Amino acid sequence: MKKSNVLVPVTGLVVGLAALVLVSLGNPGNMGFCIACFERDIAGSLGLHHAAKVQYLRPEIIGLVLGAAAMALAGKEFKARAGSAPALRFVLGGIVMVGALAFLGCPLRMVLRLGGGDGTALAGLAGFVCGILVGVACLKKGFSLGRAYKVKPAEGFVLPGFMLALLVLLLAVPSVLLFSTEGPGASHAPWFIALAAGLVVGALAQKSRLCMAGGIRDAVMFKDFHLLSGFVAIFVVVLIGNLILGRFHPELAVQPVAHHDYLWSFLGMTAAGWGSILLGGCPLRQLILAGEGNGDSAVTVFGMMVGAALAHNFGMAGNADAMTDGAFVAGGVALPGKVGVAVCLVLLGVISYANLYKKEKNQ
Amino acid sequence: MSDYLATFHTHLSALLSFEALQGRGVTARMMPVPRVLSSSCGTCVRYTAPDDCRDLLDRDCEAVYACRQDGYDCLFTAEDP
Repeated sequence: MKKSNVLVPVTGLVVGLAALVLVSLGNPGNMGFCIACFERDIAGSLGLHHAAKVQYLRPEIIGLVLGAAAMALAGKEFKARAGSAPALRFVLGGIVMVGALAFLGCPLRMVLRLGGGDGTALAGLAGFVCGILVGVACLKKGFSLGRAYKVKPAEGFVLPGFMLALLVLLLAVPSVLLFSTEGPGASHAPWFIALAAGLVVGALAQKSRLCMAGGIRDAVMFKDFHLLSGFVAIFVVVLIGNLILGRFHPELAVQPVAHHDYLWSFLGMTAAGWGSILLGGCPLRQLILAGEGNGDSAVTVFGMMVGAALAHNFGMAGNADAMTDGAFVAGGVALPGKVGVAVCLVLLGVISYANLYKKEKNQ
Repeated sequence: MSDYLATFHTHLSALLSFEALQGRGVTARMMPVPRVLSSSCGTCVRYTAPDDCRDLLDRDCEAVYACRQDGYDCLFTAEDP
């Protein structure tokens, strides 16, 4: 087997192991990694939203971007490029985030939740696949956000530079940041281990092109299962790890940071999957692309952070189920979240249609 | 007849080139860009033709390669405007 073919499942294996370690060391359950949740936590830590339970400057995100940047620079693959519909990408980033936060997890966390026995995530998986199928149909009809162009190197260093600045704030002046004292934001592994995990996974993801959405897209469009092997590897490793560690709970009772609102989990992840295909990659992939100099992906990441802030400020994010004094308290997606996801789906339809290839105009 | 592989800046550009090649009776297929050629996860077109058919490829073509048993020889790389 070619080295490049092995790299994807190996990256999946490392992601799975890192996720297990991070949960063991303090991250919330089934949340070794979650790009949506962690960017939401960062937005909260910066004061962009005021949901007190989800504020922390997650070093994993910093590590992912810097690890990808380091690997891209070392492999002479760092290319500053931008100019492919940045405003639309900003909006799409926000849409993906609103959808993912309704479900309570990005595509990567969806796999981690499934590996922990969280059956409620099956609705998210179904929605994610459905969204990808719609996105693929758009691609086949000629959807395009246009090409990116070579730009000055400074553009390519925007997100790595932003992440470095966040790291300096975290280590040197944490007093300017907000930190949760309870809830998921207060659950975290030691910063240096989280950073190291992010760096390793970021570097490997750059080398392997690991992408949750791309795996299913390539399988559907080209019958190419190469990228999907990373997705499967993460699931298998986390499943086995959780079984060994006694953290596999295959039941529909209260799951860590999850809810039973199947319809809106499905629709939220439909928006996340559809948006990811229009963007050319899942939230993890956007971080990696931004790390290797893609300014459009950097804009997308900023859009995701703003989307996360809006999701919490407007009450659109899903609420987790809870056991309070032995009583089950149902979470789910409240009315603002349902409206938000519905608006996101409509916007995706409009953006998709507006960017279809118009043959007569281009000839 | 030789095997060629063309990479593109967008999926749409690959799709248009694929359709143009097929329209001229060239055997072609779309596939993910091989990792050895790019860190991007875009779409490329692999085709078999007497020459590299550059005139049939969309304007957002990034590069054209001749396929060898053990790799690729770059025949053409488009400069950014």
